[in-house]
Amino acid sequence: MDLSEKFVKGNGTFVDDIHMPGMLYLGFVRSPYPRAKIKKISGGITHKDVNFDIAAVGEGSEEEQTFSSTAHPVLAKDFVGYVGQPVAAVYSTDPYEAEDLIDSVEVDYEPLPGISDPEKAIDFEPINPASKSNVIVDRYFGKEFPDNVGDVVIEGRFVNNRIATNPIEPRGIVTAYDGDKLTIWIGTQSIYSIKSGICEAMHLPAEKVRVIQTDTGGAFGLKGGLFPEYVVAAWLAMKEKRPVKWIETRREHLMASRPGRGAIAKLKLYADRSGKIKGLKGEVLVDNGAFTGGSGEFSPAFIAMQLAGAYHLENAYVRARSVLTNKAPQGPYRGAGRPEAMFFIEKMMDHLADKLKMDPVDLRLKNAAEERYRSPLGFEVEPSKKFLEAAIKETGYRELSKKYNTGFSFLILYHATSGGESARIQVKDGRLKVWIGGNAHGQRHDVFSKTLINEELGVDESLVDFQLGDTDQIPAGIGAWGSRSAMVAGSAVLMAARMLREKVEKKYGKYSLNHLLGEEWDAYHNFEYSKMESSLGVNVVTADVDDLGKVKIRDCISYYDAGRVLDPANAAGQIAGGSVQGISQALYEELAFDEDGQPLTSSISDAGVATADLLPKFTIKYYKSESTLPSKAKGIGEAPTIGVPIALSRALEKAMGREFNETPIRPELLLRETAVQ
Amino acid sequence: MVENRHISITVNGERKEADVEPRMLLVHFLREIAGSTGTHVGCDTTNCGACTVLLDGRAVKSCTILAVQADRRKITTIEGLSKEPGKMHPVQKSFVDNHGLQCGYCTSGMIISAYWLLKHKKNVSEQEIREAISGNLCRCTGYDNIIMSIKDAEKRMEEEGDTLEEEQAVTVRK
Repeated sequence: MDLSEKFVKGNGTFVDDIHMPGMLYLGFVRSPYPRAKIKKISGGITHKDVNFDIAAVGEGSEEEQTFSSTAHPVLAKDFVGYVGQPVAAVYSTDPYEAEDLIDSVEVDYEPLPGISDPEKAIDFEPINPASKSNVIVDRYFGKEFPDNVGDVVIEGRFVNNRIATNPIEPRGIVTAYDGDKLTIWIGTQSIYSIKSGICEAMHLPAEKVRVIQTDTGGAFGLKGGLFPEYVVAAWLAMKEKRPVKWIETRREHLMASRPGRGAIAKLKLYADRSGKIKGLKGEVLVDNGAFTGGSGEFSPAFIAMQLAGAYHLENAYVRARSVLTNKAPQGPYRGAGRPEAMFFIEKMMDHLADKLKMDPVDLRLKNAAEERYRSPLGFEVEPSKKFLEAAIKETGYRELSKKYNTGFSFLILYHATSGGESARIQVKDGRLKVWIGGNAHGQRHDVFSKTLINEELGVDESLVDFQLGDTDQIPAGIGAWGSRSAMVAGSAVLMAARMLREKVEKKYGKYSLNHLLGEEWDAYHNFEYSKMESSLGVNVVTADVDDLGKVKIRDCISYYDAGRVLDPANAAGQIAGGSVQGISQALYEELAFDEDGQPLTSSISDAGVATADLLPKFTIKYYKSESTLPSKAKGIGEAPTIGVPIALSRALEKAMGREFNETPIRPELLLRETAVQ
Repeated sequence: MVENRHISITVNGERKEADVEPRMLLVHFLREIAGSTGTHVGCDTTNCGACTVLLDGRAVKSCTILAVQADRRKITTIEGLSKEPGKMHPVQKSFVDNHGLQCGYCTSGMIISAYWLLKHKKNVSEQEIREAISGNLCRCTGYDNIIMSIKDAEKRMEEEGDTLEEEQAVTVRK
């Protein structure tokens, strides 16, 4: 059955839909304090039973550093570092009773002052007894340069506050153990991250763990890695030899999953009077949360290295730090460092244009990279001028900006292509089964896989059964994140299809569909790729603000270099969906905390997920190109969450006549003085 | 401990009886007892609408209604929307044809809300659709294709003679 048909009939199998006889339901006792010593725990499963830590796996985890002293314990030991941190676990055959049992565990805490502001946390007493300082990453990129490189300098402090990933399906897991092998069913972006994370945390050999992906109800970065609750579910299944289920509540999600963003930059941009930028200097600070194992270890570097944007930048010197705070660990959220970096550089470009009384787009044209070069901050910048010229024309920016409050953002999207991806195609009984390494969670990788197989092998799409991930069926792979799948998973599928073609040719002298479908074949291809690719994009947003501070978005235009668009319908869906997340970040979304780290956001609506009545229609256009990968595609999944907040925030600056350097733009800032009186 | 209550709820035309705790939520009755796992739990607080079902013909969020409140009433879930088993209702079909879904998790509730709208209003405008589904959150699609699906569904329902229903007064038993 077609995947869409399955879902509209209510026949999906999400992880909470799995029922097994004798199933145990897990519940977690969580810290009510941002920071406290634990003096005593009475009852429940505790760290004495499950004495493991969480290692970083998933997106970005290839970074070389290790942070064992600040690692996240599966269950808290002698202190807690954030509200919602798992302290103990309880279970029952009845999920309601499991919820009741949470109250039966007594924990004796000694509350300590916590710290939620990352800038203040730098000099605050160490919140982790194993650390001498809350600063856990402190690196420099580029090279110091004299302040007199430019005639003008723009200075600013820019903030992307933390936001929850909030897929509509929360986290969840089902585990079972037959005395020899542990099987895990999970909604995930990467069965391999889950498997390697469990094996590493629990010291289990790879052959003793199987991970099967269930239908996955959105993820946006959340479901790429391992979480403490998963380890407890695995441990309990092995101990009791019974299936175990844990499903996150939304409140747990808002407290204790890994939210994204949470980055601050203080930067100076130097330029000459003609608008040619001469240098960038300053610092980036990431709000890591209380423990490592999320993305706070590597996101400062990832943000800093992208700060040249799509421009030619001669001089740069940036300090990038990550600091412990009394909040849940930071994690990747759609873009994961990319939206932050582009927000920082693009805001400065807009303000530099204002200072020089130039059109921001002319300033961008003046600084777009004409040739490929390596920025002093580390990343390669592709030639961007030709694209920018096309984008200005195709989006109609010049006309729009004459009539409306118009924001323009220019982005470079670095795809997480490094590491490649795998695919397997099995032919049996006249049908094809296809697995790919990265696990889709709403992007419909099945569609582009079928298209590519059809083109390569001539197999009708109705004969192809796309499979969810299963480590016993496809042994190695990476994951679906970082706008990578159409590029590397698409290429892996195509290469596996070519392998099948070659197998048939080798046996019969030439390829024929009858020979392929008439026999049993199997091809596994690990598409190796070590380079990080990039692509360019532009967003244009026009908006107005009414007397009550309500934002009305007129246009939200995306113009992206998507390479070969393998699946136009789902590419458009990705861009529209990402644009909503971009609008939502700019206007509504925030996980708020008090000074100590007590969360102030308690529902999905408080967290700011946008509703349909607040949104515009989206215009989507593509720059024609092809990537050099076999699939010819370029990733676009994260482009809108990078470009839209910038362009919208600029449109509102025009509407309100003031700077907005922070997301979300708080509603009180959108009230004109006349309206307040 | 409060005693269990014996309740009987007609789910998609079939009577489902059970002894349940008075605190059991309707969504859990539907998922665990009636086996209608197409009804999803997203937010627990009536914000996201993934759990939307029809209670005596009216769209309600089943995560904040107790199962005992639905005793002796009729529920329609996503699995029972189509009158012919195995076939899709025009709203379901138009969501498939217009890419009105991506991950599929909010879809059941979204379709139920759309169905309810189209059963109660003719010639719906885009803004009316946006407002009607503002109690259903989707994090994937950006809503554009959902709105297109609902507009298309209206046409298909008209073609199939699927007519408007009178608004029924629904009171939830206290």
